[in-house]
Amino acid sequence: MIQTYARPATLQEALDLLADPHAAVLAGGTDLNGDAAGAPKIAVDLQDLGLSGIDTDGSTLRIGAMTTLQDLVDATDAPSLLRELAHREAPSTIRNAATVGGTIGSSDPESELLAGLLLFDAAVALATATGSAEVRLDDLLDDPTALVGSIITSVTLSTSGATAADRTGRTPMDRPIVMVAGRLASDGIARLVATGVASRPVVIDPNRMDDLEPPADFRGSSEYRRHLAGVLADRIVERLEGGRA
Amino acid sequence: MNITLTINGSDCELSCEPHDSLRKVLRSAGYYSVRYGSDTGETGAAAVLLDGELISADVMLAAQAQGHAIETIEGLSTPGTLHPIQEAFIETGAIQSGYSTPATILAAKALIDRNPDPTEDEVRDALSGILDRETGYLRPVHAVLRAAAVLRGETPESIDVVTLDPLVDSDGPHTDRDGITEIAPRVVPSVDVPETRIVGKPETKVDAIKLVKGNPAFTDDVHVQGMLYAKVLYSPHAHARIVSIDDSKARALPGVRAVLHHENVPRVRYASGGQSYPNPLPYDQVSFDDKVRYVGDRVAAVAADTEEIALAALDLIDVEYELLPAVFDENEAILDGAPVIHDEPDMEGAHDASHNIVHHLKADTKSVEDGFAAADRVFEQTLRVHQVHATPIENHIAIAAWDSDERMVITSSTQVPFHVRRMLAPLIGLPAKQIRIIKPRIGGGFGVKQEMLIEDIVAHLTMATGRPVRLELTREEEFRSSRTRHPQTVTFKTGVDAEGKLTAQEMRIVANTGPYGSHGLTVQMVSGLRGLSSYNCPAKRFDCKVAYTNLPVPGAYRGYGAPQALFALEAHMEDIADALDMDPIEFRRLNWTNVGDPLDIAQQLGEGDQDASVMPLVTSSGLEEAVAQGARAIEWDRRNDPDWHTPADRPHIRRGLGFAMMMHGTAIPGLDMGGASLKINDDGSFNLLIGATDLGTGSDTVLAQIAAEVVGVGTDDIIVYASDTDMTPFDTGAYASSTTYISGMATKRAADQVREQIVARAALLLDTDEASIDLHDSAAWAPDGRSVSLETIALSTLHQEGQHQIMATASYVSPESPPPYAAQYAEVEVDVDTGQVTVTDLVMAVDCGVPINPVTASGQVEGGMTQALGYGHCEEMAYDEDGRLLNPSFGPYKIYRADEMPHLEAILVQTMEESGPFGAKAIAEIPKDGVAPAIRNAIADATGARITAIPFTPERVWRALQEV
Repeated sequence: MIQTYARPATLQEALDLLADPHAAVLAGGTDLNGDAAGAPKIAVDLQDLGLSGIDTDGSTLRIGAMTTLQDLVDATDAPSLLRELAHREAPSTIRNAATVGGTIGSSDPESELLAGLLLFDAAVALATATGSAEVRLDDLLDDPTALVGSIITSVTLSTSGATAADRTGRTPMDRPIVMVAGRLASDGIARLVATGVASRPVVIDPNRMDDLEPPADFRGSSEYRRHLAGVLADRIVERLEGGRA
Repeated sequence: MNITLTINGSDCELSCEPHDSLRKVLRSAGYYSVRYGSDTGETGAAAVLLDGELISADVMLAAQAQGHAIETIEGLSTPGTLHPIQEAFIETGAIQSGYSTPATILAAKALIDRNPDPTEDEVRDALSGILDRETGYLRPVHAVLRAAAVLRGETPESIDVVTLDPLVDSDGPHTDRDGITEIAPRVVPSVDVPETRIVGKPETKVDAIKLVKGNPAFTDDVHVQGMLYAKVLYSPHAHARIVSIDDSKARALPGVRAVLHHENVPRVRYASGGQSYPNPLPYDQVSFDDKVRYVGDRVAAVAADTEEIALAALDLIDVEYELLPAVFDENEAILDGAPVIHDEPDMEGAHDASHNIVHHLKADTKSVEDGFAAADRVFEQTLRVHQVHATPIENHIAIAAWDSDERMVITSSTQVPFHVRRMLAPLIGLPAKQIRIIKPRIGGGFGVKQEMLIEDIVAHLTMATGRPVRLELTREEEFRSSRTRHPQTVTFKTGVDAEGKLTAQEMRIVANTGPYGSHGLTVQMVSGLRGLSSYNCPAKRFDCKVAYTNLPVPGAYRGYGAPQALFALEAHMEDIADALDMDPIEFRRLNWTNVGDPLDIAQQLGEGDQDASVMPLVTSSGLEEAVAQGARAIEWDRRNDPDWHTPADRPHIRRGLGFAMMMHGTAIPGLDMGGASLKINDDGSFNLLIGATDLGTGSDTVLAQIAAEVVGVGTDDIIVYASDTDMTPFDTGAYASSTTYISGMATKRAADQVREQIVARAALLLDTDEASIDLHDSAAWAPDGRSVSLETIALSTLHQEGQHQIMATASYVSPESPPPYAAQYAEVEVDVDTGQVTVTDLVMAVDCGVPINPVTASGQVEGGMTQALGYGHCEEMAYDEDGRLLNPSFGPYKIYRADEMPHLEAILVQTMEESGPFGAKAIAEIPKDGVAPAIRNAIADATGARITAIPFTPERVWRALQEV
């Protein structure tokens, strides 16, 4: 249970608070506050640190960690696929509070937005007690220990290339059983990411779909998820490479 | 800690704990419109505006709101006024229970402030975070569009009732369907319906103001001085004996006032289903037992000064369990050697507890063997229906307290207050006269609150502590430990002659009632009744075993056995038609019941006291018209167009259309009884006291309309007070599609008597004969145009001459149960590579007799279809191998949101049902019956896959497609 709420005014103050092992970052709070059992003793609210905002220089996009999902949905500079995935990530009530940094920090295993960030080669900027660092999102999802005691300040994406996504779910806006998104890189080959085929959103190789060992749940067996990933990947590759030709 | 913030424009300083949610703190500060649906934010009932943006106050700390501006609906209008969005919600009929209406209106306000001219998609997106289990979203979405138009200074579209010309036996003209506003109620009139002034009109809901403004009206809004908070310890095991229970550490925790369990609560057996006296056997429950029978079963209950202390105390109760083998499947549970779930010596009234068979129901008309022998072809098919939850957004909540006369007063979100009083009395050892049950506004029920579920816990704790005690279930507890829909394995066997007429039909069910009987008997009786009543057939047989298992407990849920039966029946009938190469509607038409046909199985499967020598007959049916209207609305002729089925631009998509015919009941004949009392006030208004319980359905409004029609006033001159066991007449409660028909007839009878009393005084005052007097416009009128107002009549009778109170009380029980009929159509798209089904259109045309209020009736159909869509398409309670519910939250348990709905259309086909008040039959449950089979049959039309189990989730459909 949260026993102390802190709203630091500077990044350094926040990092000092996070040096306590019982402290954790509070971004929008939509995940953390609903989970009484998993709540930290000290919540460090980042809302006063000026970490929200989106800027672009054409081929890269920098998203401040405290940018809400709704702000990303509304960002006309951002790739339309990323905006769509931010929109699909949560309904209206949650999108105005949940943040991009929080989405990375809580790393929901089925997050479509995380998959989208992966698709755009996201690099996550961290402020740490010893300075700043940049970690590939892909690496961070494998090993989140870099997040302990540090603060996600922004995420940077390279936004070039045509994109597409497809998914299978129980209903149109349900969290998909499997989602596949693709981006046509400068070398002309589609790069694919997927949810629902591993314990986290992953980059997949359309030529090695049989290697996937998706975790099963009541919405889809492992076999079915592998099948879906194959079907959806084929569609995305066809759409992207067909579109290019 | 203290926080400063702005609430509705005023600076406030509030005290809170660092972990307190913004919802909790706002409610404590008196903003009762911010409502609890869950702790995780996904219901949206606690949505407020933070700096003008919609957020969920469940998942925002109060501390996060420090320095920000909060808006709640309390700030939107002042007493006596309404905001244009609130007006639009009332005008369009967008409010049912109203529990989440404040949040929905705030979502609308944030949207319109940002975007004064939103599209429908934008409105649906804005509402996507507020789950609505009641309306199907259609009316709320259009209320927002209407409000936006008004705020732009435009004249909004008309929402008057649209009269559709009949299609059957009519050469036209047919009403042009283009241009009809989506939410305008569509009524196909019947020529034999008398003219009325209030009945049949889209009157405003009588409770609209309090609901649209978020005024305190629900159980959670009641706060009693000195109130304690209760929490329940639930079993983590599916089947176990409690070897020992040590509560000493819990009792020692400061702030804990009582810990109750099987060692300190009297063992009194009961059945929890809220039903008429005598409650059907078995009596297989006690308040706290030394055995647990499902994950989520009660072990102990704590009352403490705060919810946090109560929760902490639960962790301090040491329970030693002896684990027992468990069984979850109804077919396995009744086999020799299965674990025996009720082995206690004082078990009462099960058919064969040693084989977990609670009931074995049998009924037949004539020999089905002869009928099968006479058949040209015989078809047999087994189908499975699964377990779902009603999920009202307001969870179960009850508050118990001793009043100053030392009577136990319980405010409870219940559909059955009178049953609760009677059923509770023996459990707590008080006579019924010492108990008062008050039903405030209810935030949805759908059957799950037709149960004496938690009232015994708060009553026991109040008796143990002498203090008021409040218990509210969390969303997870609601999913796991309240009540659900019965799963069944259903087998139909049907003989058909060469022409396609049925010669014999047998329905066999193995039903799963979890570890407690609850509604296990009567739900399954309704399955038999509904499964074997739609179609004429000379020989019918019903055989049903109801099994105990270790799943969470099924009980009542809107439809009550009919959705199960009609999924199986309408899938079976579809497949027979296909096998016979007959048109699916023509095949059904050859067999479906018409006016004058016997309802023969009802003689054996009725619950009530019926005259066995009288064969019940169908007395009214608008089915042919409903079938025609629905076919026109969904463009059924596209079924014959191959190009439509295979859209050229999407090679993996197949489209399909499906149909299901439905027939339901109207109340339980010879059993359901409702009472009403009507009295006049000085100003010519009336108090209507009724035992009926409006769960959001609009029944208070419908009953007020009936009374207003009879006594010649407007609905706003009827002040409704409902369902308080001290104050109102008895009513069985809101279930069995009975309120309009039964309580409506009681209201009409009371009003008829009041009318006579008014007319008698009017005749004196007008010096004319009573028979010539007409009541309308709040006055009594002589044939020559002279009139005397009801106010004058009231003042005369109350104060001036021959003083007496004009008042009457009446009740009603029906000897019959006239069936409403309906045609359900569905349009789907199936992705044949993935199995994903997208439902794109649902049309239901229903004969509910004369709809008393076409707006609330349409709302019942739209909301009912949406729940039924979830049943057929995406909702399921999923378990691990140890019987633990895997998805006790919204999202994993998927119900439809505003931004993913198919198109919905309700068409009301009038018939004049002579036995009902002003011609009415039931409407509430029939919308639950046909959507699952219509989708199933549409999938078959699209792909050829004939699926025998619901829901139609992608993997199930994909696997079925592999078999085609």
